Amino acid sequence: MSAAGIVFSNLNDNNLSRLTADRTVAAIPFGCRYRLVDFALSNMVNAGITNISLIANYNYRSLNEHIGSGKDWDLARRAGGIKFISPYQTARTPNSVMYLHHLEALKSMQEFILEIREDTVVLSDTDNICNLNLNEIIEEHETRGADITMVTTPCTPDFSSKGSVMMVDADEKTGCVKRITKSTVPVKGYSDRFINIYIVRTAYLNAVLNQSFRENLQSLSEDVLMKNTGDKKIYVHRFKGFVAQVSSFTDYYRHSIALAKDPSLRAELFCGERPIYTKVHNSAPVLYREGAAVSNSMIADGCVIEGTVENSILFRGVKVGRGAVVKDSILFGGTDIGDGSTIQCVVADKNVSISANSTLSGAPTLPFFISKGRHV
Amino acid sequence: MYCKKECIAMLLAGGQGSRLYELTQQTAKPAVTFGGKYKIIDFPLSNCINSGIDTVGVLTQYQPLALNEYVGNGAPWDLDRTRGGLTVLPPYMGSRRSDWYKGTANAIYQNINFIKQYSPDYVLILSGDHIYRMDYSLMLKQHKETAAACTIATITVPMEEASRFGICNTNPDGSIYEFEEKPKQPKNNQASMGIYIFSADVLLKYLETDEADETSQNDFGKNIIPNLLANGERVFAYRYNDYWKDVGTIASLWEANMDTLGPSPVLNLSLPTSRIFSRNIARAPQYIGASAKISDAMISEGCEINGTVEHSVLSGGVIIEEGAVVRNSVIMEDVVVKRGAVIDYAIIDSDTLICEGAHVGDPAGDKNHIKVIAKGSEVK
Repeated sequence: MSAAGIVFSNLNDNNLSRLTADRTVAAIPFGCRYRLVDFALSNMVNAGITNISLIANYNYRSLNEHIGSGKDWDLARRAGGIKFISPYQTARTPNSVMYLHHLEALKSMQEFILEIREDTVVLSDTDNICNLNLNEIIEEHETRGADITMVTTPCTPDFSSKGSVMMVDADEKTGCVKRITKSTVPVKGYSDRFINIYIVRTAYLNAVLNQSFRENLQSLSEDVLMKNTGDKKIYVHRFKGFVAQVSSFTDYYRHSIALAKDPSLRAELFCGERPIYTKVHNSAPVLYREGAAVSNSMIADGCVIEGTVENSILFRGVKVGRGAVVKDSILFGGTDIGDGSTIQCVVADKNVSISANSTLSGAPTLPFFISKGRHV
Repeated sequence: MYCKKECIAMLLAGGQGSRLYELTQQTAKPAVTFGGKYKIIDFPLSNCINSGIDTVGVLTQYQPLALNEYVGNGAPWDLDRTRGGLTVLPPYMGSRRSDWYKGTANAIYQNINFIKQYSPDYVLILSGDHIYRMDYSLMLKQHKETAAACTIATITVPMEEASRFGICNTNPDGSIYEFEEKPKQPKNNQASMGIYIFSADVLLKYLETDEADETSQNDFGKNIIPNLLANGERVFAYRYNDYWKDVGTIASLWEANMDTLGPSPVLNLSLPTSRIFSRNIARAPQYIGASAKISDAMISEGCEINGTVEHSVLSGGVIIEEGAVVRNSVIMEDVVVKRGAVIDYAIIDSDTLICEGAHVGDPAGDKNHIKVIAKGSEVK
């Protein structure tokens, strides 16, 4: 088995506008000290995939800074490693394209895809956070002789998404995909929803790319997968573990708080045999001073806690002042909560500072968002 | 091939640390865990890179496995370089002679060829068993300004402890006229920190003379420095007055860990201007559960806390179950403290299991009565 990886960093940005004001979806902080891209990359690295292209379209400065040489994911390699692919202008294409679909993004990097020597390519977005064993899935893909394997999860009745996602109806026994539709809510007869991870035979990917240049196809889902679905060798792999789909700001908030409240989700997402890697910052361990009272929370290195923290996720270097109370909140790196302040249901972007004795509150269904660097 | 370096560092990391007993049975002292996520050697290595020194020889001898693995190619300290960087220097077999490192000076002597490769003007000699932050570039600046042959970093210690150290007796201009190794009747309390900067030619000359002297113990404090002074070389003290701790004993190791705690810790590990770097393994973020009670503690990545933790330092991956109590203790990596267990005034080495209801240490203990539990134990 050998596989290469392609990670799409920008698709779905519009659904998360507040968090993506100056970053890509891939660079959204999640789970204390990670960014969404860390889950996609770690899944690949843990499956032995070391030739990865990361496609970015715009707003990619923070992503680029996060990835650096790729060393923290063990992807600073002479052979393979991680390649950052951003749009560029040539004499032939003076106006670089802002692509909206996977297929357009793939077309823009055809020269790299032609160089892929691995038999299989894993295509992954970053908006479905999970920790899965890609090796098993790739093996299954190869045994079945599939052209494409779509990784799906059972679609629960309460599911809803801000943007439309592919709903899949597959044969229970063989896993062969019968039909696909797009929707923001569950559709009767379609048991699974796609989590934006494809396993594709490299030769098939090249054939699809050639066809799409010939016929000017733009969308992998609508122009390729959803047309004559039953005639193609498309299979599903149904992943039954924890998947946090981040399709909207409320999704993001809900999944983050769930992670803080339920230790079993943490145990699954950060399972010991498949660690999640991220950029190393060398902050000191967390300091809990006298007066700290913390429960059901995940707290990153570099934090200094002198107040109360409940059901919250604190990223690196957050300071919670004396007598301050933080509940049901997500505080990005460098947030400073002044002495005696009370905040509840707040998402604070990086380096927000909240002065002493203030009170800020949102609701669980409508968390209060404070943008990067704001002083309240 | 090798480019010239103005100053290179030689880090003596071969010490056994016999006064740390169980903690150094299988591990060299520089690789002992400190301050939650660090190892002792992180401090001199981070000091080097923060001082602009990018070529470091690490001399190992005693139980080097954990140390070598930890140091690796030096990448965590930005010391993986094409020119220079970190090189581990173990004792080796030669065609004419094969020796263990006999003393600190002999260890450097056996690696003269490593030093010569970089044709340095100055050589910084460090030891791997102290916790401190120092900008060696300031010491080097003074060394150049005083046109010294050798500069010794010194620190003021309490007079009653002075007889445990090498004491530097200085003239008003800071030059040293006498060096006494562990004097019974110390004349002052300026103690050598075991950090030396030598002008390279002086170092090489004195190492060769020392090696030829069969009566020598091949030690910097006992032989090299007294010889320099006897020959009238310019030896100066560099006065350092920030945090410095020799963590060579259980009491001092425990105390240094506790120095990171409190409302304004004397040892602040999170100064953005001089970060302490360490090797990271990808642990999950720490989780503080519903029944946790934590006060005045430092807790590292990967921990899961559901019990009580007071005035303690916890390394990565420690699990404290509901109803367990940890007070005034240092808990190293991946220790599990089961329900109802109580730990007071203890240092628990890594991978240890403290079983349900077990009691370790004495609630009325103090720094001179610290219970040490060896690596990988099971305490019932």
